[in-house]
Amino acid sequence: MYEQIASNRAKTVFIIIGFVIFITAIGFAVGYYIDYRYGINSNYSILLMVFALILAIIMSFSSYYYSDKIVLALTRARPISREENPRVYYAVEGLSIAAGLPMPRIYTIDDDGMNAFATGRNPQNGVMVFTRGLLDNLNDEELKGVVSHELSHIKNYDILLGTIVVILVGMVTIISHIILRSFIFGGGGRKSSKSSGGGILTLIFLVVGIALLILSPIIATLIRLAISRNREFLADSTGALVSRYPAGLANALRKISQHSEVRTASNATAHLFISNPFGSRSKAMLGNLFNTHPPTEERIKRLESMSLGVGVK
Amino acid sequence: MVTGVIVLIAVLGGLVLLVILTGVGIYNSIVSLRNMVDNSWHQIDVQLRKRYDLIPNLVETVKGYAKHERETLENVISARKMGIDAKTVKEQAKAENMITDTLKSLFALSENYPNLKADQHFSKLMEQLNGIESNIAYSRQFYNDMVMKLNTRIQTFPGNIFARIFNFKIRDYFEIEEAAAREPVKVKFE
Repeated sequence: MYEQIASNRAKTVFIIIGFVIFITAIGFAVGYYIDYRYGINSNYSILLMVFALILAIIMSFSSYYYSDKIVLALTRARPISREENPRVYYAVEGLSIAAGLPMPRIYTIDDDGMNAFATGRNPQNGVMVFTRGLLDNLNDEELKGVVSHELSHIKNYDILLGTIVVILVGMVTIISHIILRSFIFGGGGRKSSKSSGGGILTLIFLVVGIALLILSPIIATLIRLAISRNREFLADSTGALVSRYPAGLANALRKISQHSEVRTASNATAHLFISNPFGSRSKAMLGNLFNTHPPTEERIKRLESMSLGVGVK
Repeated sequence: MVTGVIVLIAVLGGLVLLVILTGVGIYNSIVSLRNMVDNSWHQIDVQLRKRYDLIPNLVETVKGYAKHERETLENVISARKMGIDAKTVKEQAKAENMITDTLKSLFALSENYPNLKADQHFSKLMEQLNGIESNIAYSRQFYNDMVMKLNTRIQTFPGNIFARIFNFKIRDYFEIEEAAAREPVKVKFE
């Protein structure tokens, strides 16, 4: 557990540093390009690099403190009160006592699909999100299984890494898109009137831009895969240790996998969810390799071997 | 020759340092586990106190409908007092099991009083009680997990050496005795 927390923190720092370097490099490249086109003796490259560095640091800090709010806004989650759904409050309250964690805040997404995720930067700021479909369709034992799974994500800081990745990788993808587009549609027309050297440089940037465009989703996917698949198994098993009833989660996963689609989920947030929020759609398109989640059957099988068959439907 | 001695001293010094650092690590881990046990005990205490606060309220409500069930009501009150007065983990566990049992019989009794069962206040109290009891069970689970970690650390090598030197004691589990479960079920037909 402690190695897991340390590793998650280290990976978060690593991703933030990578992000800062990437943004700074972009700033330098854009400045360099402007220098080349508009003035030989100007220092836009340095200026923009420093600007980008400061911007990247500010973005990193704010994504550390606000990424959970951004994720909640992206998925259109709203807070749910104790009066509205006492059952989920009892389940979360009890299990966070059992896990030795502070009580997380509880949010809900108005969606018929059954899914759930947790976010926040640390257990003190943990948030748990359930779709309406999940709250309506799971029985007490199944709900407790899901809650304990999410609590393990909170406990070992998966939420910090997962949430930071949503924002930073998302930003890198957006920035790559913007740069590529500005070179294709914006810079392309005017540069012919300038020197021929500019043309070669633009070409280089175009190639780099295209490479970025092709690479960035792959990089983003690989990062998400690296942080996602194994930790689902891990959260399943540590969650079962908290709830002391692996069959609850196994039965919940079986139910959820029937209808786990969440409309407000996107590529950026998919890895946060307990079960693939694209449901069966993604299986046909990407196959097993690029799935952010391990196959449900495999997860159920492992949980059932933990429960020794007790209570499994 | 001289360099050989220096190397030897350096190696020995390094080993001593390593042993000291490891020792400090183990000592600190035992202390932090002990603090976690204390803290998780406090968590149980919070939940137990909630139940103590609820009981007088519950007894008063039941009294309003079932005055004649004096024995059951007094059992609940005396069990509550035992819980408040308990000093050790074992005493506390015993008292809490008694409270749980007496509350069960109180609840069973309410079956005979339809008016009581229909009372809004009573059903609200019962719902709260159920919530608190499941929280007690969960906090007990966490406490016992922590006790197990601490005891394992103290009883295994090399923690046992430190435990002896610094007088770290193993802790008691908060055990539940299902006293009611062991008694034969009494069924009366009238």
